[in-house]
Amino acid sequence: MTWLWLIGLPLFGAALLWIPHFGPRVGSKLGSRLGVRLDLALTAQLDVRIVSHAPALLITTSALTSAIAIWQTATASGSDPALLAGYLRGDAMARLFAPVVNIIFLGISVYVHGRAAASPERAAVMRRFAALSLVFLAACNLAILGNHLLLIWLALEASTLSAALLIVRPEAPASDGGKDATKEFPSRLASWRYVLFSSVGLALALLGMVSLGRSMELDGHEATLFLDKLPAALAGPANPWRQLGLALMLLGIGTKLGLAPMYSWLPEAYDEAPSEVTAMLGAVQFNCALVFLFHVVQVFRAGSGALITGELLTIGLSSVAVSTVSIVATRNFKRLLAYASINHAGVIAIGLGLGKPAGFGLLLYVLSNAFIKAILFLTAGKIEQHYGTKDTKAIAGLIKDLPYSGLFLMVGTFGLLGFPPFGSFLGELLILSALVTSGQMFVFAAFCMLITMTFVATGRTIFPMIWGEPKQERTWPKQSALSGMHKLIFLMALLVLGIYIPPQLSELMASVATLLEGP
Amino acid sequence: MSPLLIGMLGILLMPLFVASWRLNLLALTGQGLIMAWIGYQLDPFMSSAHAWLSLFDLLVVRSLGAPLALYAVMRAHKALPSGDVLPPNLMSWTMAIAAVLLSFRFAEMMVPVDSPLESDAQTFVAVATAALLLGLLLLATQTGPFSQMVGVLRIENAIALFELGAATQPPRSAGAADAEPALLELATHHGHALSLTIAQTVILVLTVWLFRWYLQVLPPPTSGKVSAVEGPRS
Repeated sequence: MTWLWLIGLPLFGAALLWIPHFGPRVGSKLGSRLGVRLDLALTAQLDVRIVSHAPALLITTSALTSAIAIWQTATASGSDPALLAGYLRGDAMARLFAPVVNIIFLGISVYVHGRAAASPERAAVMRRFAALSLVFLAACNLAILGNHLLLIWLALEASTLSAALLIVRPEAPASDGGKDATKEFPSRLASWRYVLFSSVGLALALLGMVSLGRSMELDGHEATLFLDKLPAALAGPANPWRQLGLALMLLGIGTKLGLAPMYSWLPEAYDEAPSEVTAMLGAVQFNCALVFLFHVVQVFRAGSGALITGELLTIGLSSVAVSTVSIVATRNFKRLLAYASINHAGVIAIGLGLGKPAGFGLLLYVLSNAFIKAILFLTAGKIEQHYGTKDTKAIAGLIKDLPYSGLFLMVGTFGLLGFPPFGSFLGELLILSALVTSGQMFVFAAFCMLITMTFVATGRTIFPMIWGEPKQERTWPKQSALSGMHKLIFLMALLVLGIYIPPQLSELMASVATLLEGP
Repeated sequence: MSPLLIGMLGILLMPLFVASWRLNLLALTGQGLIMAWIGYQLDPFMSSAHAWLSLFDLLVVRSLGAPLALYAVMRAHKALPSGDVLPPNLMSWTMAIAAVLLSFRFAEMMVPVDSPLESDAQTFVAVATAALLLGLLLLATQTGPFSQMVGVLRIENAIALFELGAATQPPRSAGAADAEPALLELATHHGHALSLTIAQTVILVLTVWLFRWYLQVLPPPTSGKVSAVEGPRS
């Protein structure tokens, strides 16, 4: 039952932030209707206190959920306890991803705390931010723990709705004199595109589930969406409804991951959202959607392996191709990181399509990718804040101007490009090797060519930002090492994945890799 | 059931050829009402909480809530009465008709007809697929938030119709004599836990609320480029 705290605690924190705010309003309205005069001064005082501590509340809650997730993973006995009548399950997948997601969220909370302390105007919107973030965290944890396809779908929808509001910045109209109305509120438009694509993607995934239900009924099985009961219900040769359901689910979840063909929301949302929200989307929600995809592949692999391999390799390679072209063309460093996320999603899809030979490498790549994105997006926020621009040509000499941010950008980019000794290097190497052993030589050749192009284009854009000659003298307040502590922890995790994976983690990853091979 | 489904198809197609945003919202109401009626026919005794919740979802949220929420904003914005959701040209109309024909062909492939009950199931699949494809066509051809919202709501309705259709599908293993009990059995089987269905409705309500907010705060779509041939539209 301890797993339930991962959902309950963030929801409690969100309620703590909203109830003293809305409580008095509702109370006074209700009181005036009933003819009772209520003294709500105490509640108002409480509200002011809670709001002033919103960033601390965010940190405390995420620290507690991280500790619980780590504790549950470390003390797991091997059996997967079913919770809430089997709707939730602390299986190997949950034990692997829950700590990662919660630790990254904790790092983001620390970053937000620092930003709120530095800029009072951000403190004013902290209640809304903290409450929505906590709802987002609860939904993400629910998606990771879910043992029922519809429940995971609902959790992803809930996380999407809360993230949509987080993407919107309290902003002024763009400074183009209102020539183009669509550019007036870019973050609102980006948020709308995010909701639009997510709604369509998740709708397709839901339709896939309906088709799946129909296929089970046609085969004379009882329709179920429980993950542990699905393998039995899907036994036997695949019928057209099952194939259709699988194809729709892969396409729908692919949209949520930013895979081609429905990826165009991602660069815009990642670019326009505040950096902490981009990190949440890229490193937290992305992994929850990935867990959903893993579950689908896990269930279907036995009967529909060929369809999974074909569809995932196609959308994976297409995603790597479109993102490479965009990386070559862009001059906006946040967009570049967003396109790199599409690139990574493509690599993950390719690895997942290959199945058994790439299983361990894929997980290594996924975990490394989560920490790399968290480091890079949080660093990007710092750089954007200082320079007031995202134009790569306008930023140079970061290593002198902002030494810690420059260092993290450098290390993060090395991880992004798959340099040793990071986990992404080993992960990518294992996926490439699996492509060769599976005989996918065309995909291998195309993949090698595209990642080489990505490598050159990213280096050409990012490295002058780090080591170039500063364009003008700037006087920054000195960066304290403490402000980058959370990123340092992410970096250590990245190194651990590349140099020495503790036996317990390695075992856990191996058991998740086995799950991905199917029943 | 078939006349209702044919009516549904008419309601799906008509607004695409008439330039009026009000008619589009009215069509959403019509779709919801027809689905509610179909849902009622599947379980006329309203024997479970599931049936009541489904009726609430179809009647209150989809038929009334969503169209009214968008209508209020459009009216407050004093939107012009005309408003295409599909570009008014032969290409788009051909694609819309092709999507419907494709849907019927798809249904023939997916649901082979051996009994009258399966004929209904086939029409269900055909109309639901047409609703889905037409919704996707709207999304592919429009950039304005209102038309895109209508597109998404049409897709949501298509999924609801698919779900309703699943309840009419007899299992391949059941004989013709077992068809009636099997139908009732499936209607209950196909339902998930009540709490999940409630959560699904809540998510839909929140989505509509968010759509309404976006429609309020997003700039209206930029007026179409002036055609070199036709000049500005009056």
